[in-house]
Amino acid sequence: MAALIYLSVAVFLLGMGWRVFTWLRAPVPLKIPLTPGPTTAAGVVGRMAGEVFLFRSLFDADRTLWVAAWIFHVSLVLLAVGHVAGLVVPDFAASTLDLTPAQFSHLAYVTGGVFGILAVVPLIYLFIRRFTMERVRHVSTLSDYLALALLFFAIQTGNHMRFMGDLDIVQAREFVAGLLTFRPVPPPHSGPFVAHMLLVCVLVAYIPFSKLMHLGGIFFSPTLNQPNDSRQQRHVNPWDHEASKA
Amino acid sequence: MKPPKLNPGASANQRSHRAKKELLMPLGLPAEMPSDWQAVALRKLDELRHQYRSLQLYLDICVRCGACADKCQFFLGTGDPNNMPVARAELLRKVYRRYFTPSGKLGGRLAAAEDLTDKVLDEWYAYFYQCSECRRCAVFCPYGIDTAEITMAAREIMASVGVATKYVTEVVKKAHEIGNNLGIPEAAWRDSCQFLEEEMKEETGADIKIPVNQPGAEVLLVPPSADLFANTDTMIGYAKLFHAAGVSWTTSTYASEAGNFGLFLNYEHLKKVNKRLVDAAKQLKVKRLVIGECGHAWRAAQAFMDTLNGPLDFLDAPRPEHICEFAARLIRDGRVKLNKTANDGVVVTYHDPCNVARAGGMLEEPREILRAVVSDFREMPADTIRERTFCCGAGGGMLADELMDVRMKGAKPRVEAFKTTGANFLATPCAICKAQLPVAFQHHGVEAQVGGVMDLLGKAIVI
Repeated sequence: MAALIYLSVAVFLLGMGWRVFTWLRAPVPLKIPLTPGPTTAAGVVGRMAGEVFLFRSLFDADRTLWVAAWIFHVSLVLLAVGHVAGLVVPDFAASTLDLTPAQFSHLAYVTGGVFGILAVVPLIYLFIRRFTMERVRHVSTLSDYLALALLFFAIQTGNHMRFMGDLDIVQAREFVAGLLTFRPVPPPHSGPFVAHMLLVCVLVAYIPFSKLMHLGGIFFSPTLNQPNDSRQQRHVNPWDHEASKA
Repeated sequence: MKPPKLNPGASANQRSHRAKKELLMPLGLPAEMPSDWQAVALRKLDELRHQYRSLQLYLDICVRCGACADKCQFFLGTGDPNNMPVARAELLRKVYRRYFTPSGKLGGRLAAAEDLTDKVLDEWYAYFYQCSECRRCAVFCPYGIDTAEITMAAREIMASVGVATKYVTEVVKKAHEIGNNLGIPEAAWRDSCQFLEEEMKEETGADIKIPVNQPGAEVLLVPPSADLFANTDTMIGYAKLFHAAGVSWTTSTYASEAGNFGLFLNYEHLKKVNKRLVDAAKQLKVKRLVIGECGHAWRAAQAFMDTLNGPLDFLDAPRPEHICEFAARLIRDGRVKLNKTANDGVVVTYHDPCNVARAGGMLEEPREILRAVVSDFREMPADTIRERTFCCGAGGGMLADELMDVRMKGAKPRVEAFKTTGANFLATPCAICKAQLPVAFQHHGVEAQVGGVMDLLGKAIVI
């Protein structure tokens, strides 16, 4: 189990590293920001923040999809934060929030439950949308359904543990601590836990080989991250030697 | 406009005429498709993905959410699913996956990967020339994926194996050989300028010049060559503006074309066509380079010129400058006297040319001018103007007669938006829009005039 987790994390890191390398090794020869756009670096940070945190363009494109996508992504991030708080640094998290261990576990139960559900409901919508909306169905590939399915089952097995209450949280914390200190201990004896871990492993390892790499890719998008300053600052094309030496 | 039902293959037969060797060879393109064309094309794709981050990234990260699908005027007009930007891009992506990604190499069809075959090339030729590179999809994409980048790459790949359109190559060839897209030689250029001078003399009684090759002028104005023949009111507008403001200016017979069809073919020709403008400005020793009413010319000039053929620091800033910026500044400074009543009866709306708005960032100045010269200015619906403007339906090298059906369908969203305004004049600073929209108006039963911003300014200027 531990070996598999290490392997999937390694695949993720190396895979995403390779992806980012392939994006960065290709230069941006011409200025192609979408205009009107920010003309300064601070403006670009603002534009990117709007896209990354608020999905600004999607908001204008498809309001229903935006609601689903935004709730899903926010829930996913909060679930990740919750996992760190509850499994890695529970004492620190509880004391930061000024809660007793019992209160903290109650809070974890509620927030984990709420965001666990808020994450899967949009996934169900995305699946139905992909299947029923003619335009989207037409362009959907197997990998699109696979990504949805992986996410759905990974989160759903987590929800199962939460609501069916068959996980020993202390054992889970020890397992995570073992992983993080590279002194792995056996995982809790729980079917859903093992299933959850397996699905998350597959998901994480799959990211660099699938469209899920958009989570890193968006930061490199030249139409969004270039300042619109072609007339203030000369932009050099590194592979056009004749033009770049001038 | 409501998204149409999918109608697969609806515009599959809308194809530009292919360029033959008489047009390919002078542009340095293979006269015939090489027997190993797949290998050549794949090498080109590999080269381009190493040269353009946009291409590599946009091939990789699309999630096929469909946000772009109903934003493209060619999909809205034709219902052909391959005209959804996401599907258009997938035409290239499936080949990229097949040859350059682990999942595509292993998974084949299951991974939505496909061999580069004659059939695929055929699809590319049809649908990458039914994209006007207008970037409307990119505005709505959550990652800013710009299908124009994909289209340009696909066209460059096709060109590398001798597959290009007659229309685009013909225009590029004329631009290289004669200096403008219409192929107007110097003598005819001078004649037309003289003719327009006489016309203005008759109208105003003043000696308003359209100077040609005048060294030392302050401004080199590079119009789309169509302004000298089809859109003469625009040309007259420039002339009256410079005359009234007392700015010395000139046109050039070496760089007599603002438009740059190289943008619709490949980098090499984009750069070469662009260079004529810089060379002419240097040779005529002007202080300013001003671009006339041409949409993609503005992209090529404001976004690319300094990179391609700069540095441009021999010019006064802003370099280069758009005629609408230049005119708006003169109006603001009170350098020209205007009389709105000259445009009485004109109810005007402004059509943002795609390149001017989404790739050139100029949104306010044309509106500022129109408000100053016409008393009734109206906007089309907010989701069809400014950076969300619809393409006229003929940009990006699509203004060919044989594409008339898809052009008219692609124009429909623009025409429908126009109809809501009650305007009788559509003003737009783009020669392609000006050529396309009157035909589209007629086709869709709209009676209204199409003209330039300068046309209305010219009428309002008090000489």
